[in-house]
Amino acid sequence: MGRRFAIIAMGMTITAIMICNPVSSSARANDIVGEWGRVNPPPAPAIKPVKADPKTAALLMLDFVQHDPYCGDGKPRCGGTLPAMKQLLGNARIHGTVVIYSVAGKYEASDIAKDVAPAGNEPVVKSKADKFLNTDLEKILKEKGIQTVIVTGTSANGAVLYTASEVALRGLKVIVPVDGLSANDLYEEQLTVWQLANGPGFGGQVTITRGDMIEF
Amino acid sequence: MKVGDWMLITGVTLAISLGASTLRAASVIDNWASVKAPPAPELKPVKIDPKTTALLMLDYIKQICNAERYPRCPQRLPTVKKLLDQARDNGVMVVYTGTTTPNSERADIVPSVAPTGDEPFLKSVLDKFLNTDLEKILKDNGITTVIAVGQLAQGAVITTGSEAAQRGFKVIVAVDGIAAQDDYYEQYTV
Repeated sequence: MGRRFAIIAMGMTITAIMICNPVSSSARANDIVGEWGRVNPPPAPAIKPVKADPKTAALLMLDFVQHDPYCGDGKPRCGGTLPAMKQLLGNARIHGTVVIYSVAGKYEASDIAKDVAPAGNEPVVKSKADKFLNTDLEKILKEKGIQTVIVTGTSANGAVLYTASEVALRGLKVIVPVDGLSANDLYEEQLTVWQLANGPGFGGQVTITRGDMIEF
Repeated sequence: MKVGDWMLITGVTLAISLGASTLRAASVIDNWASVKAPPAPELKPVKIDPKTTALLMLDYIKQICNAERYPRCPQRLPTVKKLLDQARDNGVMVVYTGTTTPNSERADIVPSVAPTGDEPFLKSVLDKFLNTDLEKILKDNGITTVIAVGQLAQGAVITTGSEAAQRGFKVIVAVDGIAAQDDYYEQYTV
């Protein structure tokens, strides 16, 4: 009863997009906000072991900035990914895999969390969620002959989702370790994993895995 | 099932997850079944300036928007058609897109919402800014706000809508104008 009332009430408060002359819409269920409470997530995608060729793979470390709203105290789920990502990073470096960092907002390379900080001349790009936008990322990947990109970082539903999508849309393979992405809550992480695993247009280019299941 | 039962299940799931975290940090996969959607966003009336707004009609092509493949798309067409008519009546710029896979052309747009006159058509992957003139077309026409409607919600709409926002455009999403193959995709797009 309460649930039905909530759905009806939601339907009644819905107002359609209007151009210039607003008109109130009648109660409706023919859109996702009307259906909101009835939506169930699909089953989790399978986690698979994956091999990455160290010569043609790159590890992207996105926005591990040790301040909020990135990887600061206000975002404990990001801190939770650091041990596994430190291990993956070490493993990638030992095998000579290219490591590329990103930052956002007012932050610079020196603001990246110490555990996973850039070393030597590892490149750092700066942009909004899509790290290809107004950066050298595409150029760097092409110059180094990269064909597979391992995408880690925060926020899952920001930099990870949009950058990983843009990697796939450029025809490269994408590897996403689920223990390397973080957001404010699980819903944001879930939709990211689901979208990257099942989103249209990626044509089987994306592998969902875990950091310790990536073999170089 | 009562609310109490759900709390119990959530609690047990949480306990199992915490147990697992002694070995490694629990990822969203470990917690998958306990994830709850946040409340629905509030829908707001919005007034637009016809001179600086463009309506993006994303991938309303017959190869995708048909009852066999994605029935939720044709269901939304009457609403989209109304929005399109209102936009044209008010002189709002209308831009169409199609996909590269499957390959599509201007003539493939579903007839009820088909382009007229010189309304631009361009095609790309999910991100309609990628390898197209979309940004230039919008900027040359003084556009600062885009209304994104289309199919698939979690494809062209989420990707192009996000890329528009990151390029500094204001984005309006009409929830009754987006469609996917099921409600979960539409929910997380919104």
